[in-house]
Amino acid sequence: MSEPLLSIENLQVKFSRSEDEVYAVNNVSFAIHENEALGIVGESGSGKSVTLMSSIGLIRENGKITSGKALFQGKDLLKLRPKQLEDIRGRDIGVVFQDPMTSLNPIMRIGDQIMEAMLTHQYASRKEAFNRTIQLLQEIGIPDPHSRFKSYPHEFSGGMRQRIMIAIALACEPQLLIADEPTTALDVTVQMQILALLQDLRRKRGMSVVIVTHDFGLATNFCDKIIVMYGGQIMEAASTDMFIREATHPYSIGLKASIIEVGNKGKEISPIPGAARTLTEAPTGCPFAERCPFKTERCLNEVPELRAFGIDHYIACHHAEEVASYAV
Amino acid sequence: MASTVAETHSEVVLKKKKVRRSEFYQGWKRFKKHRLAVIGLVWVVIFCLAGIIGPWVAPHDYRTGDFLAINQAPSWKYIFGTDNVGHDMFSQILYSIRSALIIAIGATLVSFIIGVILGLWAGLRGGIADMIIMRAVDFMMTLPGFLFALILVIMLGRGYLSLILAIGIPGWAGYARLIRSLVLSMRDSEMVEAARALGASQAHIARRYMLPNVIGSMGVALAFGIPGDLIQIAGLSIFGMGLQPPIPSFGNMIAQAGENILGFPWLLYFPAGIFAITLLSFLFVADGLQEAFSPKGGN
Amino acid sequence: MAILKFISKRIVQIIITLILVISVSYIMMYFSPGGFMNTSTMATALAPLQGQNPVLYQEVMEQFQSRYGLNLPLYQQILKYVWHELTFDFGNSMQNPSLSIMSQLQRTLPVSVILAFGSIILSVVVGVPLGIIAALKRNTWVDYLVSTVSLAGQAIPAFVLAVILVLLFGVVFQGILPITGWGRWDEAILPIICLSAANVGVVARYMRGSLIETLRSDFIRTAKAKGVKYWPMVMKHGVKNSLTAMITVIGPQFAFTVMGTIWVEQIFAIPGLGQVMQTAFTSFDFPLAITSVFLLGSMIMVMNLMVDIIYAIIDPRVKL
Repeated sequence: MSEPLLSIENLQVKFSRSEDEVYAVNNVSFAIHENEALGIVGESGSGKSVTLMSSIGLIRENGKITSGKALFQGKDLLKLRPKQLEDIRGRDIGVVFQDPMTSLNPIMRIGDQIMEAMLTHQYASRKEAFNRTIQLLQEIGIPDPHSRFKSYPHEFSGGMRQRIMIAIALACEPQLLIADEPTTALDVTVQMQILALLQDLRRKRGMSVVIVTHDFGLATNFCDKIIVMYGGQIMEAASTDMFIREATHPYSIGLKASIIEVGNKGKEISPIPGAARTLTEAPTGCPFAERCPFKTERCLNEVPELRAFGIDHYIACHHAEEVASYAV
Repeated sequence: MASTVAETHSEVVLKKKKVRRSEFYQGWKRFKKHRLAVIGLVWVVIFCLAGIIGPWVAPHDYRTGDFLAINQAPSWKYIFGTDNVGHDMFSQILYSIRSALIIAIGATLVSFIIGVILGLWAGLRGGIADMIIMRAVDFMMTLPGFLFALILVIMLGRGYLSLILAIGIPGWAGYARLIRSLVLSMRDSEMVEAARALGASQAHIARRYMLPNVIGSMGVALAFGIPGDLIQIAGLSIFGMGLQPPIPSFGNMIAQAGENILGFPWLLYFPAGIFAITLLSFLFVADGLQEAFSPKGGN
Repeated sequence: MAILKFISKRIVQIIITLILVISVSYIMMYFSPGGFMNTSTMATALAPLQGQNPVLYQEVMEQFQSRYGLNLPLYQQILKYVWHELTFDFGNSMQNPSLSIMSQLQRTLPVSVILAFGSIILSVVVGVPLGIIAALKRNTWVDYLVSTVSLAGQAIPAFVLAVILVLLFGVVFQGILPITGWGRWDEAILPIICLSAANVGVVARYMRGSLIETLRSDFIRTAKAKGVKYWPMVMKHGVKNSLTAMITVIGPQFAFTVMGTIWVEQIFAIPGLGQVMQTAFTSFDFPLAITSVFLLGSMIMVMNLMVDIIYAIIDPRVKL
């Protein structure tokens, strides 16, 4: 396989709070290749967005990357100076955030907000940037782009604002788009439209997309590969097909069982018992152990390594084989 | 059935009191963390004590000056110096503290009482009463209270009570608005609904459930009110509309010092310095209270 | 066009408020014991005349009453007075009947307007950058210094600061700046500094809080994600948004600046509206007093209107 576009290696992120520290991301490694759609699935607090945001320098002030690498086109993003990182953000890596209602500058015309991305990176001249903005607005499905160029965010609906966010992220034709819960704040019907738009844009441009979501169904619909995170660690990683057929980690199985699928009539939805906990100490065992039905002594005392478990299938569970035999 | 209702009722009340006490304790703990606020509080206490015992410790009378010792620089006999008719500045300041405190506290209370009455009325009654009162609040807030105070002084005169009223009466609007908003936010809360379901009268609801809950916010408002009124008193004196001389006041002293400041600057140092430090202290205390007792305060 | 409608609506509001102000002042002065409104004061003054020449006494009294409209019923007096004030027909002062109030104002009002606006401009020009520095250097000594100085500026009233500055520039830095008078440009410096101190403090403190809050908001993260550099991000996204939040709070604060001019004029011996007002109030010259109250109120409200208009211009979300 070719060199990956972005590869995260042994990333570790801590947040310091007034009293203690939170171990948000622990020893996470994965890679995304060109033209690939990767879904990172997990509950809130599982460290899924922190992993990506910290690698592009958009981490909160109290967050600290304690070790690891984030290689993007051969450069370690974590070692770049803030200025160099600024050059990459928005030009080579675009980001779409969760809440379109608050993510746009309320007192700046939306056209200017899209143009700003291009002008900042000297991607285009003012005139070119304007033309490209109009074109982008058209492409993302905003009618009458010439007059809407001058509108302010509050004159748009949530779905429309998210489209504008996408236009901002795509303004400089980035190779990688990070979408952090892009549809969570939207109505269900609008969610589908936004996803369809993203899918369409991805195919046309041949860019890679990472979708961070808590919505397992969304990830399986959209992505080629899926990574499941829990407690700041990767639990399982596999291609989507493999995942749907043979998800083996007890947590993944739980996730699958907790969603409603068409055709699953009669099958009961079973929530995973217990609740996710915030780690305030370095993990000493499997983070999911407390809620896991397969838990043994070993799970509490030894952090499971992410290991190969078949073609394109990785898992971090001491008892994967056992679980697999059980599931089949 | 009836007994269970009564029990629930008393339980609600008990719980409430417990919460309040610990809230004040928590607030005090937060307040103590602000060093400037604590320093301010110490000064405010000293200032108030000076106001209370001033007349007994003042070495000289404020009315009679020593004509043989006019415009003297600070010395052992006159530690803050003397003014152009031989008044001992130290004694003058002690008396000024007293008059300033009497008027500031009195005026703040007057504003507060009017504000509470009108605010409660507007909040509880609603309708036309509310509309009229809020219009009046808007009107009062558009213009500085000092303007009204000036006109009131003309009408009422320049005695203690007149000044208390002249400064106090125009200051009600802020308190009324605060109280009304507190009432409105409380009115629909569960606790009051429960009381209403029990058939408690409106006056009872106001006294028992709303007032205790707003004490924190009102304390902060009052703490900001006193330094504001101190400024107004001095401002009236500067304008020649404050306490009638020979009753000493900070405003008069500061204004007089301004007249012959190049020759006898100590006439300014002490009154202006003490006045400024006092205002600053009150403001630090109010700031500290706000951060300690209002959830939004602080950074 | 929405803005014209908004302005005209606000002007109507301002006029109603001014009518109220004039009426309230008139009524209060009418009932004040020592005021000239009260014909009894005049009667006492003319008492000796009554014995000597009752006809002349009657004539003088009537002339006095009709000159100030005191022979009409109270409500008519008020209406008449309101009308006169609103049409800028202020009449003559009582202390100095040969002098028209208008001529006094032509001399003094511009002085106060210069002081008030000068200080507002200064407080924004100084306060906003201070607030920005404090916000960006949060919890460093720079921040603490700015916060403390701002609080001190807020706590020390203009008249105390005025006296302190007079002392400073009269004794320590003698001859650098003039400490009294009015006429040369440099004579405006110290008074304007006095008036601005409190506002610089308020502006800086609000700016700091507002900017800290704004910099935490989601759209700042979006700007960072776009790769926008630090300073453009702070200025274009942070400061601009903070200003809109701040303006609403600052508007009323400036009312006190206008009030402060009348104190500062006292101490720097500046012939402005404040001095006219002081003469009027201390000598119970009621037409002059009411007129100065009217003008002071107008200045404050015009200032608030301007703040509202600026707010509407920079914040597109404001519905007029």
